[in-house]
Amino acid sequence: MIDTVYVEEKILDHPITKNVIKSVPTADIIKINRYQELFNKRYQNFRLQKKNPSLILAKKYDNFVLPVPSGFGMNAQKNFYFSHMYNCIYDCRYCFLQGMYSSANYVLFVNYNDFFESISDTIEAQTSSSLTFYSGYDCDSLAFDKVSGFSKHALDFFSKQPSVELELRTKSIVTSSLMKRDPIENCVVAFSLSPPKIASILDNKAPSIEKRTIALKQLANAGWPIGLRFDPLIYCSGWENMYSNLIADIMHDLNPSSLHSVSHGPLRFPKKMYKKISSLHPENKLFSFPMIEKGGIVSYGKGIENTMSSFLKMELLKYTTQSKIFRCTV
Amino acid sequence: MKRGAGGENLLKADIKICWVMALRSEAMPVIDAFNMSIVSNELLFPVYMNAENDHALVISGTGPAKSAAGATYLKSFLDVKSYAAWINLGIAGYFKEPTGKLFQALKVEHHDSRRAYFPGLRLSKFVDGCALSTVSKPEVNFPDQVLYDMEAAGFCELAPTFSCNELTYVFKVVSDTPFTKASLVTKKVVTNLIENHIGTISKLVGSIGELVKDEKNRLVISHEVNHYLENFQFTNSNRVKFQQIYKKWKSAFPNKTLNALNYTPTSARELITRLEQDLLDEVKDWNLV
Repeated sequence: MIDTVYVEEKILDHPITKNVIKSVPTADIIKINRYQELFNKRYQNFRLQKKNPSLILAKKYDNFVLPVPSGFGMNAQKNFYFSHMYNCIYDCRYCFLQGMYSSANYVLFVNYNDFFESISDTIEAQTSSSLTFYSGYDCDSLAFDKVSGFSKHALDFFSKQPSVELELRTKSIVTSSLMKRDPIENCVVAFSLSPPKIASILDNKAPSIEKRTIALKQLANAGWPIGLRFDPLIYCSGWENMYSNLIADIMHDLNPSSLHSVSHGPLRFPKKMYKKISSLHPENKLFSFPMIEKGGIVSYGKGIENTMSSFLKMELLKYTTQSKIFRCTV
Repeated sequence: MKRGAGGENLLKADIKICWVMALRSEAMPVIDAFNMSIVSNELLFPVYMNAENDHALVISGTGPAKSAAGATYLKSFLDVKSYAAWINLGIAGYFKEPTGKLFQALKVEHHDSRRAYFPGLRLSKFVDGCALSTVSKPEVNFPDQVLYDMEAAGFCELAPTFSCNELTYVFKVVSDTPFTKASLVTKKVVTNLIENHIGTISKLVGSIGELVKDEKNRLVISHEVNHYLENFQFTNSNRVKFQQIYKKWKSAFPNKTLNALNYTPTSARELITRLEQDLLDEVKDWNLV
């Protein structure tokens, strides 16, 4: 429950600000000048702040749409991401956001329309390419939707842009905003998934895999294109059976035509980020694994990565075609 | 240095809660509640402590500079570690009645410089939150809907550098308003205002203490690591490497100790290699818990 909302003075009267504040009626509202006054400052402690994050409402002025790092995404020729929010209500132990920011507070940029204008400009400038826009890079696309109401705005916009794709990447089961409207062919709802045992240890505060599976099947049955994201792949004793069973459970009675894409990717961190995250959680066994550092990237190493990747692909091919399976490398 | 009742405990103290308070009349209820004794009357600032419950308190005097200086003095005098919490508690003006209400300051702005600070984790279960403005003289007009004090901005400038922002707290009790003039606020009134909230303050300290415990567990270097660091020749880089690999090793084998390895390394490098090998040997059967 959000108990403190910091609001930039300039957007106090913005309709989105008003709606958000209405949705957290007991919160203290504190006026600020700019969100950078309190977000990602020195001497902040991500681990402690994560115990009770505040919400910061802000306006974004630039860099609304950015190209995704190479190796991220599916087969569109050009991939972009946009971040209407920084940070996430979940606390997944492997999440790169812990290493990216010193602050666990949520920043929500309320000028949604500026994002959509910038996306329109990007689409116009890239007429010859197929484009995908990712919304769940610096946050979970749906987890905060009850407060932000963002998905409704995004879906209204992308439903009028049939030539490009939107990916909502999520671990959330808050799908009501999608279920109460007709599916949109170019909007993919992509669920991040791990075997239940692994998720119960690492995906803190996130819905269980059982609940995520139910939610994704409900959306699939309603006609929404579904993405499955096994990223990062987590290594542990018995991982083969765990991933095999997970894939079987998901694919069981899932209409194959609703499956837009499946991607998998290794657990990888830039060296500096790994150092920061592992120092936040030195007691966690995820970070006591003897990882390998090569070229500034910390990972399980090529051996484990390739074995897991090949296994995943083999398992997935039992249920879907090669053309829908992608290996991410970041 | 001449020391008082707490003096003999200075060396063994592991201070976890540091109070920085401007006035003696504000501090007395806290000193009593946490059974602190004066360390010495001859220090630059009066310092109180209780080595049993790990509380320490400095009376800084009024103004942001003195608050910052008092906190710094306490930090260095007691060698306070980076997992300790820092609390500035005192009285404040407020734009409306009633007096006597306790607030957590969620934003502290230095009125003159306009610099803003955002101390602490929100503890909404126990106390309401409010913005605060640190002014250079007592506020009588109360132009904004905020608390007014004379210390917090100085305290917030430095205290987070001793530990972190989430272990820095500012709590204020309303003493004067447009209808209750500051001139009516006697020392006795001040003491009563703080004393009336000791129950809530104890609960706040309980919550903050949990954060301190969490942070200490994360940061502290175990005795057996210190033992090896003292008894082996470590280069600087091996020293860091040993501490890092030990944390991983301990996380993977929480029930093992270095002493129980039945292995006597002949060098620091050999010790590090042994721990690395233990982890590698475990890979095949790696569990996440």
